[in-house]
Amino acid sequence: MGSARPSARVWRPETPNQPSVNWILPEGASLDLEGISSPLQVLRGLGGGTQGQVFEVEVAGERLALKWYLPACIARDPHLERRLGESIRATAPSDAFLWPLALVKSSQGAVQLLRRGEPSFGYLMELRPTGFVGAHEHVGGHLAIGLLQVLRASFFLAEAFHALHLKGLCYKDISLGNLFLEPSSGRILICDNDNVDVDGRDLGSVLGTPGFMAPEILMGRARPGANSDLFSLAVLIFRLLTRHDPLRGRRELAIRCLDEPARRRLYGEEPLFIFDPADPSNRPDPIEHVAALITWPIYPEPIKQLFEQTFCTGLQDPQRRALTGQWMAALAAALDQRQICASCGQETFPAPSDPAPLCWSCGCPMPPPGRLLLPHGQVTAAPGNELHAHHFDSLLPLRLNQPLARVEAHPSDGDLLGLRNLSGHSWQAELRTGNRVMVEPGQACNLAPLVRITTPAGAVELPS
Amino acid sequence: MPFPNVRLANRPLHFIYICDCSGSMAAQGKIQALNQAIRQSLPGMAEVARQNPEARVLVRAVSFADRAVWHLEQPTEVQQLQWLDLQAGGITAMGEALELVAAVLQSPPMEERALPPVLVLISDGQPTDDFDAGLARLMREPWAQKAVRLAIAMGHDADTEVLQQFIGSDPGGGLPAGEIPGASGQTPLHRSGRSPRRPLQASSATSLAQYIQWASTAVVGAASMPASRMAGSGPQANIPLPDLPPTLMDPTDDVGPLVW
Repeated sequence: MGSARPSARVWRPETPNQPSVNWILPEGASLDLEGISSPLQVLRGLGGGTQGQVFEVEVAGERLALKWYLPACIARDPHLERRLGESIRATAPSDAFLWPLALVKSSQGAVQLLRRGEPSFGYLMELRPTGFVGAHEHVGGHLAIGLLQVLRASFFLAEAFHALHLKGLCYKDISLGNLFLEPSSGRILICDNDNVDVDGRDLGSVLGTPGFMAPEILMGRARPGANSDLFSLAVLIFRLLTRHDPLRGRRELAIRCLDEPARRRLYGEEPLFIFDPADPSNRPDPIEHVAALITWPIYPEPIKQLFEQTFCTGLQDPQRRALTGQWMAALAAALDQRQICASCGQETFPAPSDPAPLCWSCGCPMPPPGRLLLPHGQVTAAPGNELHAHHFDSLLPLRLNQPLARVEAHPSDGDLLGLRNLSGHSWQAELRTGNRVMVEPGQACNLAPLVRITTPAGAVELPS
Repeated sequence: MPFPNVRLANRPLHFIYICDCSGSMAAQGKIQALNQAIRQSLPGMAEVARQNPEARVLVRAVSFADRAVWHLEQPTEVQQLQWLDLQAGGITAMGEALELVAAVLQSPPMEERALPPVLVLISDGQPTDDFDAGLARLMREPWAQKAVRLAIAMGHDADTEVLQQFIGSDPGGGLPAGEIPGASGQTPLHRSGRSPRRPLQASSATSLAQYIQWASTAVVGAASMPASRMAGSGPQANIPLPDLPPTLMDPTDDVGPLVW
């Protein structure tokens, strides 16, 4: 029998209203921290992990998030404070990053108030807005989201890394865990920016997350940088677009216990892309890996080629991986050719050059859609498709966040397509009859009778 | 139009509590503390399960006193789990409990493909039956060898030797991977002995709840979806274990250096 030696201590159970999370910073406390001039009020704990804990705080009337590190994390990553300081001075590459805004350190007085009584530091950032959910919700199939939004999210992700890499920085540890999505728009947020470093300097300890790490990092042949970011970015885009993993095919089925050594084999020692055109030995299993088999045929050839480039030649040759700009171009082009299947209503992406496309979902032939011809490119007339400044001026960067126009279905007659003027300028629409009408900002015009729309950015031609 | 109705293929992750329900657990409210700690940990465990699309977390529980019996026999998805209270009374048939666990880790009923199981042994005393035979039976199963095996000692009367045998030898040797003693200059020396590869000493309801929560969230996360890797973390076991939860600076909680 377990000995029942008398003891003074009573094992009072935790009461239900007493959470067992052990917040390092006492909720409700006001702390004077080094790095900010006003006292910081701890409103509530938001979450915690093995690195530290995140709190909602108020500083000088502004609500912010504070990530506070555990001393063990700081001890493992001696350059953390220096990297954070440099990131804060460099400022965010784009508004897709929940970037560190200020470094705060425990002052002498504040240490007394900390629950562990140990000096530490953290950084302030914006609170994550409501409406953004973890990308794992999409990959796990818990989210109502359309292909349009998933392709947009992938574009925004590539765009964010484009901006980061252009600043000479690298992220090192992108994975599903630090990406958030807004399902209605496809907008993204990248969190946990504390491993960001100057590319090639290697002033950090993180290697990445298995499954997202490039093989040369997992195998210890190289240190993480912009080239390994390109591998992780391709994995993340693949997982968003297919809800599957690019390297888990039949070879995974041979693994009984998926543990560390098994992951090392799959992702490091013997990686093989499941859709490698030259080696079919790791194709998805028709039962276990059905997600990959259903989703892969959806996407246009240029996107598939970037995956092949990154996961075939680029697997062992980091210089050959698809670049952020290539991803942006291929994803933006796919959005331009988005078409709705008249039979099943599913979103499809047939190439304009395809003479007899079939719907990936129902297999029906897709009749040639109406197209909007622009000075640079063409956009299929399908509800939700948008015209952007780069369609009119090839010198402008690819941007999706400020559309000039959007194709919309008429609210009472879904077959009637119009183009809504989202710009701040009036358009002139030219009808087949030769008449002209003005389309003011916010108005939509029926596309059916039009031959041309003249906008200050350039002309939109509608071939009959 | 919605994204195609598909999702990432997942593997089962079997999580098994092995709970001491001997008579001594009735003293000082220990069994109530354990029931409450497990119940409180379930929402966090469900959240981790949801965040890990690669895993289907299935929970079971064995209780042992005069005999070992399944307290929760059906592998139950954590989202559906309602914890029924364990009752204390009897002696400590820990070896028999390990045999019960061994029986479900053989294939079948164990699936052909899975994530490493997580086994959590919680005890406040010494086994009264043939522990060595039970452990030997368990460790004949390949899934038991691959499992993450954790042990929580409730109070200071638990037999930490047998709990350490259940865990296996500490591959980190002296210092655990997660803890860097003296890094802050303020870590009490005895705390540098804390390691997930050693029995976790829970000496109050608060520390018990923390360890149960850690096992059901951080460890489940590590076993189902890999976490960020740091350089220089050295050779790892088949599943690298996350850092232990930070402890409160509660002078009544850690009563001094632990003797092994």
